Amino acid sequence: MKAAPWWSTLSGAGFGLFPAIPYAAPDQVDCHGIAIVAEGLSAAARPAGPVAFSEASFAIPCGCRTALIGPNGSGKSTLLRVLAGLIAPQSGKVQVLGAAPRLGRARVAYLAQRPRLTDPFPLQVWRLVQMGTYAHHGWFEECHHGDEAVERALRLLGLTDLAERPVGTLSGGQLQRALLARAAVQGAEVLLLDEPFAALDQESREIVERFLFAADAHFTVVMATHDATDLVRFDRILALRQGQLTTTHACTGHPHRHG
Amino acid sequence: MPARATRIAMVDFFLEPLREAFFQRAVLAIIFSGLTCACLGAYVVLRRMAFISTALTHSILPGVVGAILLGISPYGGALAAALFTAGGIAWLATRRHTSEDSAIGVMLSVMFAAGIALMSAAQAWRDFTSLLFGSIVSVGPTDLIVIGLTTVVILFGLRLLHKELELASFDEEYAQLLGARPALLRGILLVLMALGAVACVRLVGALLTTALFVIPAATGTLLGRTLPQVMGWALLCAVGGGLSGLYLSYHVPGVPSGAGIVLCCAIPYLGARLRAGSREG
Repeated sequence: MKAAPWWSTLSGAGFGLFPAIPYAAPDQVDCHGIAIVAEGLSAAARPAGPVAFSEASFAIPCGCRTALIGPNGSGKSTLLRVLAGLIAPQSGKVQVLGAAPRLGRARVAYLAQRPRLTDPFPLQVWRLVQMGTYAHHGWFEECHHGDEAVERALRLLGLTDLAERPVGTLSGGQLQRALLARAAVQGAEVLLLDEPFAALDQESREIVERFLFAADAHFTVVMATHDATDLVRFDRILALRQGQLTTTHACTGHPHRHG
Repeated sequence: MPARATRIAMVDFFLEPLREAFFQRAVLAIIFSGLTCACLGAYVVLRRMAFISTALTHSILPGVVGAILLGISPYGGALAAALFTAGGIAWLATRRHTSEDSAIGVMLSVMFAAGIALMSAAQAWRDFTSLLFGSIVSVGPTDLIVIGLTTVVILFGLRLLHKELELASFDEEYAQLLGARPALLRGILLVLMALGAVACVRLVGALLTTALFVIPAATGTLLGRTLPQVMGWALLCAVGGGLSGLYLSYHVPGVPSGAGIVLCCAIPYLGARLRAGSREG
């Protein structure tokens, strides 16, 4: 993607001496049948805060596009953050891709509703997307592979022309697309998205929908949404209301993901 | 020929001071410290750690005075005091009902007050002006070795962790999700800042060292589009400003070197600020 600057050989000298330590142990288990399963799950947004939802039980098959609906403050964000490993559940069992949620998993990506990014920050869009490859690099390593994946993700999300733009000059929709491209580069199979359509204009929305709902996309999606109009797109709907969770609509899923 | 005479005068202006050993050491010290301040400063500015860098640099005062009173190495005392301040801030900020902002305020004033108290205890036999305001012309060979070594350690650490520090500075939550331990990275950055502060204090003094962290990097963020570009512009500003300040204080008697360096660094910042402002407008 980018030609290495002339000083990179100089500043990179000595790197070979350092072993590249992965950020976390890789998990090898493939997605078979069920991607996410929870039983009697309770959690709170803050460690000592009030319980956001309790005794939630649900299962999401691999390749299933799931909508997570409910009024403001019903615990949608908390549930997504539990699945991402950012919040520990208070009680109950939950498994994502065959293991309890934890940090440092390349195959699970989480997008906050309002990502807290440092602004201003001198960063170009392609570098932001390249950060997804860090999951496959590890400590002390400079990026030396994954350029094709970055280019493909930029193309998929219609960002190729914006690759050189500073991140701070992007619109909300363009930024959201760049963050999704980063999740794709990361190799995520489970996408946990907190109201991704909230900030999008029509153009960005179409690109994102094409990306998420493409027939050949291998994602398991859990998306918090307020938009009641296009729930038909989803295979399964989880509704959170007053701390209780109900599942409707059986998942037809994607046959090729049910190995 | 007047043109020729002017040229000779110009050459003399730049070369004559370079014949003196103390001036050569000062130039080297500025280049080393410029490297440190530019690269570390980029993170200080982007992560909004200017206040904490002020606390670290001010706490060098009690460190050095205490070390002199105890008869141990001033550099060791300075580093210990800076690390103690960083640790104290981290500890206070994790307590309930104390924001990091006020934790920094508490540690900064306590350490500085301790420094003043220690200074008056030792006043009878020592003058601490150079510690407060810097004295680059008194940089000795040992000082130069310490500054050089710290620069190598800091640059190597920043290079090794470049992509992690960039990621954690830009998007802390994503760093956490990948397993890249942003809290640990912040701690490493604070240790490197303490080292950098100790190395730079000879140039401009405990009161103004924070200016070297902030002003060149703030210039860089106005001009650079990527993090290495920001560091490059900051380096240019720090070394250019540093050398200008050094020549200024050499040729104009009465201008202290520390203040001269900081003022000369502020000129490129002002230029970059005006340029950025005219582009926005």
